[in-house]
Amino acid sequence: MNRWPRLRAALAYALLLAFTLLFVAPVLFMLVGSLKPDELVLAEAGTLRAFFPDTISLDNYRAVFERVPFGLYLASSLIINGLIVGLGLLVNAFAGYALARLRWWGREAMLALVLAVLVIPFEAIAIPLFYQLSWIGWRDDWLVQAIPFVANPLAIFLFYSFFLGLPRELEEAARVDGAGVLRTFFVIVVPNAKAAFASVAIVLFLFHWGMYLWPLLMTTSEAVRPLPLGIANFHTLPPLQWGDIMAFGVLMVLPVLILFVVFQRWFVRGVASTGIKG
Amino acid sequence: MLLAFTVATALTLAGCGPEVERGEGAPDADVHRLEIWAHAGREEERRTLEAQIDRFRAERSEVRIDLTWIPEGSYNGQVQAAALAGRLPDLLEFDGPYLYSYAWQGHLRPLDDLLPEEIHADLLPSILAQGRYRDHLYGLGTFDSGLGLWANRARLEAANARIPGGPDDAWDAEEFSDLLERLAQDDPDGQVLDLKLNYTGEWFSYAFAPLLQSAGGDLVDREPEGVASGTLDGPESVAAMTAVQSWIRQGRVDPNLDDAAFARGRVPLAWGGHWNYPGYRAALGEDLLLLPLPRMDETMVTGQGSWQWGVTRRARDPELAMDFLAFLLRPEEVLAMSEANGGVPATRAAVARSEAYGAEGPLHLFARQLEEGYARPRPRTPAYPVISDAFDRAFQDIRHGTDPAAALSAAARRIDRELRENHHYPEITGERGERGERGDTHKATRDQHQNRAVGQIGVDAKEAPVGGQPLGEGLPPFGRREGSPPTSDGHAG
Amino acid sequence: MRDEGIVRERIPRGAPVNRPMRSSQAPAAWLLMTPALAGLLLFLLLPFGLAVVLSFSNLRMGSPLPLEFVGLANYTLAFTDTGLTRALLNNLLFALVVVPVQTALGLALALLLNRPLAGRAVFRTLFFLPVVFPLSLVAVVWVLIFAPGPDGLLNAALGLLTFGGWEPRDFLNDPFWALPAVMLTSIWQGVGFQMVVLLAGLQAIPRQLYEAAAVDGASRWRQFLHVTLPGLRNPLIFVVIVTTILSFRVFDQVRIMTRGGPQDASNTVIHEMVRTAFDQGHVAMGAAMSVVFFLVILGIALVQRRLLRQRGEVS
Repeated sequence: MNRWPRLRAALAYALLLAFTLLFVAPVLFMLVGSLKPDELVLAEAGTLRAFFPDTISLDNYRAVFERVPFGLYLASSLIINGLIVGLGLLVNAFAGYALARLRWWGREAMLALVLAVLVIPFEAIAIPLFYQLSWIGWRDDWLVQAIPFVANPLAIFLFYSFFLGLPRELEEAARVDGAGVLRTFFVIVVPNAKAAFASVAIVLFLFHWGMYLWPLLMTTSEAVRPLPLGIANFHTLPPLQWGDIMAFGVLMVLPVLILFVVFQRWFVRGVASTGIKG
Repeated sequence: MLLAFTVATALTLAGCGPEVERGEGAPDADVHRLEIWAHAGREEERRTLEAQIDRFRAERSEVRIDLTWIPEGSYNGQVQAAALAGRLPDLLEFDGPYLYSYAWQGHLRPLDDLLPEEIHADLLPSILAQGRYRDHLYGLGTFDSGLGLWANRARLEAANARIPGGPDDAWDAEEFSDLLERLAQDDPDGQVLDLKLNYTGEWFSYAFAPLLQSAGGDLVDREPEGVASGTLDGPESVAAMTAVQSWIRQGRVDPNLDDAAFARGRVPLAWGGHWNYPGYRAALGEDLLLLPLPRMDETMVTGQGSWQWGVTRRARDPELAMDFLAFLLRPEEVLAMSEANGGVPATRAAVARSEAYGAEGPLHLFARQLEEGYARPRPRTPAYPVISDAFDRAFQDIRHGTDPAAALSAAARRIDRELRENHHYPEITGERGERGERGDTHKATRDQHQNRAVGQIGVDAKEAPVGGQPLGEGLPPFGRREGSPPTSDGHAG
Repeated sequence: MRDEGIVRERIPRGAPVNRPMRSSQAPAAWLLMTPALAGLLLFLLLPFGLAVVLSFSNLRMGSPLPLEFVGLANYTLAFTDTGLTRALLNNLLFALVVVPVQTALGLALALLLNRPLAGRAVFRTLFFLPVVFPLSLVAVVWVLIFAPGPDGLLNAALGLLTFGGWEPRDFLNDPFWALPAVMLTSIWQGVGFQMVVLLAGLQAIPRQLYEAAAVDGASRWRQFLHVTLPGLRNPLIFVVIVTTILSFRVFDQVRIMTRGGPQDASNTVIHEMVRTAFDQGHVAMGAAMSVVFFLVILGIALVQRRLLRQRGEVS
């Protein structure tokens, strides 16, 4: 095989294309389905027309906006995730910095706490947290879907690791100049930690954009339901209007796709960094 | 800044899409408000309810109604969570058998004093039976369900089968098995009966408990502090399930994986309900027959029950809630919903006017069953969801060959454990109010079922044992009995 | 000097302005740490404690009965009379299948992309695409793909591949196929993640190692075994641990596609837990399942760390 580099390259391409087809097929299926009338989606699912439709129309998209408060769902998702990412970057970076760079008597204990809590998966506390918050009457709004996720041990750890790796000279210089901790943080550290912030922002976003379990437990009104719940509920209203459902799906994933395509490098780097550090 | 932009976009987008609330604009101190939760069913059902709300508001323009659609899949969870958080609406729809939990937990307000007498008199006995829990009426349905046997006339006639004329004329167990064999002879794969084995969950309890009851058994003993052991795994229930198992074992039952065994003509008989009518009618046309279920012993028993409405204790204006219910129970409104979802209209006036359910209608059998007491409500206990789940599992085991007695015993044990752990759902008095007020004095003088003529109201008042804690209400006992004329709300004395 | 006003607030009492960083920065540190700490305490530790406490009680949603202590009753019952044992088994099966398959696929794709091919960024994007899809959306689309009968996409595709030998099945309602169906959905969604991590790992392996091996006469296969795999050790371990843990957290697909599948055939621990606590209202039992779940995850993490000690670790 060493003697035919071109053959190897061609083989690699062939394999890649085959895999691509397998991976992209469901996505294409969804896209095409969103452009077909409802009956045809299921009826033609087994044929080539599942991928190459006869006619296309945007009727389903129109129906989505009429049948379902898509705008509301999208707004809820944006607000909830905006809160989680926005507040999360702040809160977790603060903690990571305090753990990495400051001298204080609680540092060891707090670090141990963060590492210990890292092991607790969300689902292990979903039910008691659901009960705890419902019992005090806090449910069915945006805040309850965002605040519990702001403090994130993994994010703290990522920031901590990153800040540990920053050269100390910058902070020392600031300190010599008389800057306090907060000033140092915002003026010196943050601008030099853009990669960390981007990675954590993306990780937090990816984890929580598709959140389904928590909203399922905690929301009732449509006004605060995020998109993942929207599509699941939409999906169970019989008779199933598959065309509309596929259109909803396309609309739902579009914002993330756009973000992804634009910030691709950061996405990949962010995800990979969890692997390298972890 | 990105965050600000996002939030701004979000709020703008929130404006897109259909209106979520169906009320007037600005809240007004004088405006009467009604918060309603309904289950998100089929498109026609939802449209009908929305139209009904609009028509109600046309008559009562000062009323503002906030409707929230709750997906069926997590309905009970939503209600319980909202109750815990103190966020229940004023008017709540729920699936029939959940009424007993909600009433016991104190979330519902009794309707006895709110319900106008003329509506009460017009409701089908099954609706009242389903809505009562321990001497009070907590729920009202605007439609009920029908359960029966769909049949292909041509195939039955070809097999020289006797066609039952009504619920009192049902095939008995022997006749039925015999018929299955005769039909099988003309059938290519020998499968002639569809039991909707592809359905999930509640279907099995709903559809097959009547067989147990017809044979003399039941899911659970309906006496207060009654348990499942001895009843669910008693000889009669076991006999009924053994019969079902034999039909399956002999290969007479189609697994119905495509949900179309009857519609596609593979089987001439199908266990089913009112919801099957449109599809079956389209498939079989004039050949479609609606027959009563077979009887295992003396009487045919069938199922009943569906979604119903209740007023919650936190309702600020219970009379307004009842006004809305009364509106929904008007004949033309009941008919509108019946036409949308195919259910049996809940009032006699509507039944009479219904094309499908009226005297000449193709689905009249369903109405008759509910009116004449052949339909038996599911066990009226907060433990019902556990009972249903336990029976569902037992049915699946039996269907796959497990010994019926063993499977039913296991189910009975599970049910009894639930009953025990909840101390048989004692009446909760104290700040829960009303229920303690009846007092035990006149109960002490009576310690037997008060039976009503089943053909009339069909509810009974269960008196508490002497000196004991008032406990679960019983149900119309097996078979039909003459009794004293009913009082307006089932109370004695 | 310009910042004296600000600085004075931050510096601990008695410390002169220009002293180098030797004194305690406790006030500032606590200021920074507190929000996160509050979050972790209120929304992670407190509910965890509550789970443990509740698991010994008989708490049911909305029950007006007084709360009782029931000892280990919930735990015994959880293992003998709920869907938990079957669910745990399913999760185990899930991990045993999905982890190797997804990792192997991810590695294969990463290897394919770890060469200077034109358009490899496009391929990388396309393979990572499913990861960006929320699981609930993936579940809904795959429900359609799994549609029963010869019209269903998967049934039709398999029919084509086997030249008509494939009997169309209702995957999601089939006791045998329900769990594999959920597995397939998860694999499709997750491979991109493995690929990205492993690709980064591959690119971190110094070229010289390969060149040295080639000079020594090692074949490509031997290079793979002795240079690539050891070099990928850390990312591989990471990916295996994460995927294993994720295999036990499966919920969204099960809830949407099969709701536990025909008679618990595709039930998973989290789904059983939610069904018990939320649908059936038996919160105490759900809490017990939460604790069991946590112990399982902890066990896995510990076992895997021990077995696959990452290179470069100190402890």
